[in-house]
Parts: sequence; structure tokens; C-alpha cells
Amino acid sequence: MEKELVYLYDGSFEGLLTCVYEIYYRKDDPKKIIPKECNRFSLIEEYIQIDTDTEKFKKVYESIERKISREFLRTVFYIYLSEEEDSGIIILDYIRTGYKFGRDVLNYQTNPHVRAANEVYRRVSYERHRYLGLLRFKMLEGGVLYATIEPDHNIISMLGGHFSQRMSSEYWIIHDVKRNIAVFYNKEQWIIRSLNESIDLRFDENEQSYQELWKTYYKHISIPNRKNLRQKRAYMPTRYWKHLVEEGVQNNGFNKTNLD
Amino acid sequence: MDALSKLQILADAAKYDVSCSSSGSNRSNKKDGLGNANTAGICHSWSDDGRCISLLKILMSNYCIYDCAYCVNRISNDLPRATFTPKEIVDITINFYKRNYIEGLFLSSAVVKSPNHTMEMFLNVVKTLREEENFNGYIHIKAIPGADKTLIDSVGKYVDRMSINIELPTDEGLKMLAPDKNHKDILNPMREIKNEIVKYKEEKKAFRSTPKYVPAGQTTQLIIGATKDSDYRIINLAENLYKGYELKRVYYSAFIPVSQNPLLPTYEKPPLLRENRLYQADWLLRFYGFKADELLDNSNQNFDLLLDPKCDWALRNIHHFPVEINKVDYNMLLRVPGIGVKSALRIASSRRFGKVTFDDLKKMGVVLKRAKYFITCDGKYFGIKSMDSSLIKKNIIGMDESLYSKQLSLFDLNGGILGGERISLSV
Repeated sequence: MEKELVYLYDGSFEGLLTCVYEIYYRKDDPKKIIPKECNRFSLIEEYIQIDTDTEKFKKVYESIERKISREFLRTVFYIYLSEEEDSGIIILDYIRTGYKFGRDVLNYQTNPHVRAANEVYRRVSYERHRYLGLLRFKMLEGGVLYATIEPDHNIISMLGGHFSQRMSSEYWIIHDVKRNIAVFYNKEQWIIRSLNESIDLRFDENEQSYQELWKTYYKHISIPNRKNLRQKRAYMPTRYWKHLVEEGVQNNGFNKTNLD
Repeated sequence: MDALSKLQILADAAKYDVSCSSSGSNRSNKKDGLGNANTAGICHSWSDDGRCISLLKILMSNYCIYDCAYCVNRISNDLPRATFTPKEIVDITINFYKRNYIEGLFLSSAVVKSPNHTMEMFLNVVKTLREEENFNGYIHIKAIPGADKTLIDSVGKYVDRMSINIELPTDEGLKMLAPDKNHKDILNPMREIKNEIVKYKEEKKAFRSTPKYVPAGQTTQLIIGATKDSDYRIINLAENLYKGYELKRVYYSAFIPVSQNPLLPTYEKPPLLRENRLYQADWLLRFYGFKADELLDNSNQNFDLLLDPKCDWALRNIHHFPVEINKVDYNMLLRVPGIGVKSALRIASSRRFGKVTFDDLKKMGVVLKRAKYFITCDGKYFGIKSMDSSLIKKNIIGMDESLYSKQLSLFDLNGGILGGERISLSV
């Protein structure tokens, strides 16, 4: 029996596009392209491990930009950030289709590979947009603003860009507690670092009273005659509630000394 | 009174205003400033009624000199009253904004002392926010009818959006329920703001540095069901407001009885389904190329509650159908029931690569259980054998009658589909 081919890479975007380079070069047709840390070995699979190569990455990156479009490249990057299991192979099929149809491929909605790619892209960009609103900062002693998030997709870098413009004269930290990474902003630039120790948080003396004001507002702005919890949950799925001040009662920061 | 108690009273008093949108402005942050506006708008939370919370929506004060029967804040109503100081509003806005609770401020007010006095209080707040706090987030302010033009203009230079609520669709309604108001006083400032916006846009072409003036435009709100005005009059008014006054949005608010006034109708529940039909019709006017006169007329003055307005139109104009998905022009695609703007765009762009099949339509988000009666796909028809509109209507409504009536009752009980920012309507 012929084994199914699996490409393994280091989990970086550079590594993923290096795989694409190698697959084209070797004329392979893998069944999966996944980060090696996510791999579970199986007897019916054959593995090829690809080391990230910046030169090969650049070749693929620039050729997509030139022969297809920047917008296409952005879609590819979003799909990579989705961290969904089959995102590697969706990207490969999408890039193959892109080379075939060129710049116009974004409009080819009836093509199954384009459709699959667009669906993942939509999920990631939708979650990014959601978090622009649902993220909650809490003010720490000394005036640093601190937020915790647990997104489905790895969107923290996209939040960094948004808040560095909006909150350009504040110090802030956005902490993805699921992936143990954080964006730090020092009024000039933002960087992403890993952050896995639980931090001892001391809040600004006024933090609790603003949280109370917000919860009060939240309660009173609703019209009782129009109560519609189903619709509320459709727009704001409960998995996002944990880190919300107005809904995440257990986790408002004052019942606990540190974060999980 | 402390800020918390005031917030309870003045959020309660503001909640019947439907608008909460933070879209349409692209104000950017400045050096050492706080905030910017997002053109698409951002929802920050959703309250228990399923409406989006984007802005801090409060009244400055609910001490009103008027006695409008439909309004909870009328002078004759016995309820707790409060007034925020400008400092309190600025402080709450800034601190909510920094914590990312909100996109900005939506400030309205009862008419305190006089329209001019109220407008001056607004001016004080927005000036402090923009000039002292260097706040560049979204600000929506109500313009008070009867206030001096110069005051309204000064406020307009600081804000992203202004609105004046018409509330009652006709002058007769106003005479009966709001004796202190008339349409002329409401429409005049609306026209003046529109003229200023037009002037700003002209100047902007010549001088890039022209200071902004109400960049996100004007909106208004109409109360549905407090008077006997028909849907036909309401959508005609809306059409005029979009055309003549270049409004960005007309909001419709199902009347919620807030008093026992004998002049007012009594409802067990607010007319939410009717409100929904009006929103669907409003969408058809703004994005689907329909005219009010196509949707309703003198012999047919109200929307069919069982059928969305586009379906209703298509059945009355069945001679235009079926249309061939692979050939028909984009404007007609938009008129097919079950096809929205997004799916119409998808169909139009995909046709260039090859034939669009019935199966493709499903994956593009077309609602086939409505669309199938009105289209052919590569010559094939998937509806019923005849193009008899009454039979098709029966099929669309009766298709799953039990489900449909269940949906209706759920709708009545649980409220409409209205959100401030993201309203998804499939028409």
C-alpha cells in the first residue's frame, strides 16, 4: 500500500511557504502539511520534514505577490493564522489555483479550493473584527492597560496594529492566555513575546468603580420588552464571555489574585 | 447624586433610541491623543435585547420642558430625574474608551430650559473631549430642533454624526401626540446640517486641511405604531429623507407603550414584525435599487406580514420571472427573492469563469427555498410547474407552515432582528 505523504514544518509562516516551494520543486502531492509539534505519527503516513529556508520563503512570497496579488497573499496569511488542522493543505490548493488563474482568482467563487480558502479567511477575519470590540482592558497600578484573550485563531498580531493606532499614548499589554503570547506596547512600538508565567496583577484603585459603572450601563441600556437572548448569543457567542467585564462575573480580576 | 445612580437613570432614559452605529467616519488619532474612528464601525458588546452596544448612549439630562405623549421623559411623567455634569460625561467616556468598552459617545438629552441651553451644554462636552482630552473616538450628538444654527454648526465641527429624530411620520401625528413640536422645526435644521456637509465637501476639495464637519452624516428615527400612519407613508418619507436630505440612515423603532395616554394605541407587545418589514424595505430602497412606489401604493398601503417586501414585489410582478442566473444583468439579480447583495456579487463575478449551477448557488449563500421559483439555471427550472403567483405564494408561505407560524410567534415574543451596527437581513 502506498503511504500518504505528510509535510512537516516548524510552525512559522516562513516554514509553511518553504514547504510550498519544496512541493513544487519535487512535484509532490502531500495529503497534509502540518507543524511538526502537532503531528501524531501514523503507520500509513510517510513524513518529509522541511527546514525553514528564508531564501525559498522569499521566492514563493514574492512570486505570489507578483503573479497573483497582495490581497491573495493576505488571504494566505490569514488562513495560516487560523491554525486549523487542514489549513496547510487548503493553502497549497489555493496557491495552485491562484497560479492557474492569476489575479482574477479572488472572484472565482465557484471553485472549491477558492471557496474553502475564503471560508477559513472569513472565520479569521470575523474573529479579528469581533475582538476589536470584545477585548477588555483593565487598568493596573501605574496606568498600564492589560487585557486577556483566548481567540480560536492566532489573531494577536492583528490586534496589535489596531490598538497601537487607537491607544498610541498608553502603555498596554494584550495577553493570549491560550497560546501564552502577549503584545507589549511602550507608546512607540509593539512587540510579541511569549508570556507563560501567571502575572501578579495589582489594579488601579479606580478600576473596580469603572467596571461597576460599565456593568450598570450594560444592564440599563437593554429594553426589557425586547429581550432576545438567542440573538445576543448569536452575535456574541458564550465562549467569548469569560474575559468580558459585563458577563465574565467569575473573572473580573477581583476575586482572584492572579490569572490562570 | 453619584455618577452611578445618574448613569442608571440616564441610560434607562436613552435606551429607546435605536441608533448605536459607530460607522462612517475615518477620524484618525493625533499625537498624544486617544482614539480613532473605524469606518466600518465596531460593536463592543450586545445587551440582553440582542442589540449591539457600540457607543456610550446616555442622556445629558432627563428634565424635559416638553410633554410628548409617546416619550418616557415627558414633563408629566413621574420618574426619577438626573443631570450629568459635563465633567462626569467626559470622565466616563474617556475611562470607558481606554478600557475598550466603547467606540465613543452618543449624547442626547431632554430639552432642558430651552433648545439653545441644551445645545450649549452639548458644546461644552464635545469641546472638552476634543480639545482638552484630545479624544478622537466617535461622537454622535443629537441636534435639538429650535436651537440656533450657529450653535448647531459649532457642535458639528467637533462630532462625527448628528441626528434629529422625526419620531412621528406625519404632522397630524405630531399635533396630536407632541403639541410642542412640528415637522418644520425638525426638517429645517436637518436641511441646514445637510447644506453645511455639502459645503464642507466642496471646501475639502480645494483645501485638504478644512476641518471636519459631521463626517459620518445624519440619521433620524421614526416610531412605528404610535400613530395610524401607513407603511406607504413611512417608506415614502424615508425615501425623501435619503434623497432630499442625504441621510445616512433612517431608524425604525417599534412603539413601546410608556404611558396610559388615551391618545395612544395599546399593544400587548411592540409591533416588532412590522418594524422588521420596514427595515427590509429600507434596505431595498438603499441597496437594491427599489423605489417606494414599487413596493407599496395607495391601494396597498401596508406590508404583508407573512411575506418579505421583495418576495411580495416579485409575486406582484411575476411576468418578469423566471430569470436566467447566467445571463440576467446585475440589477435584476438583486431583485430576485433570496438573493442578497453579497450573493449577487458572487454570482456576477463567478459567471465569468463558467456556468453557475444550482448547486453553486446554495454554496454562495442564496436562499433557494425562495429563489427557486424565480430563476432558471442554465435553462433548468427548479420551482413548481406553473408561474401562477398565488400558487407560488402559497408554496413559499405554506412550505413549512407550522415552522413559519412558529417563527412568527418567536419573533413576537423575543423581539426583532435589530442591532445597532450589524443588521443581517436576508431579503
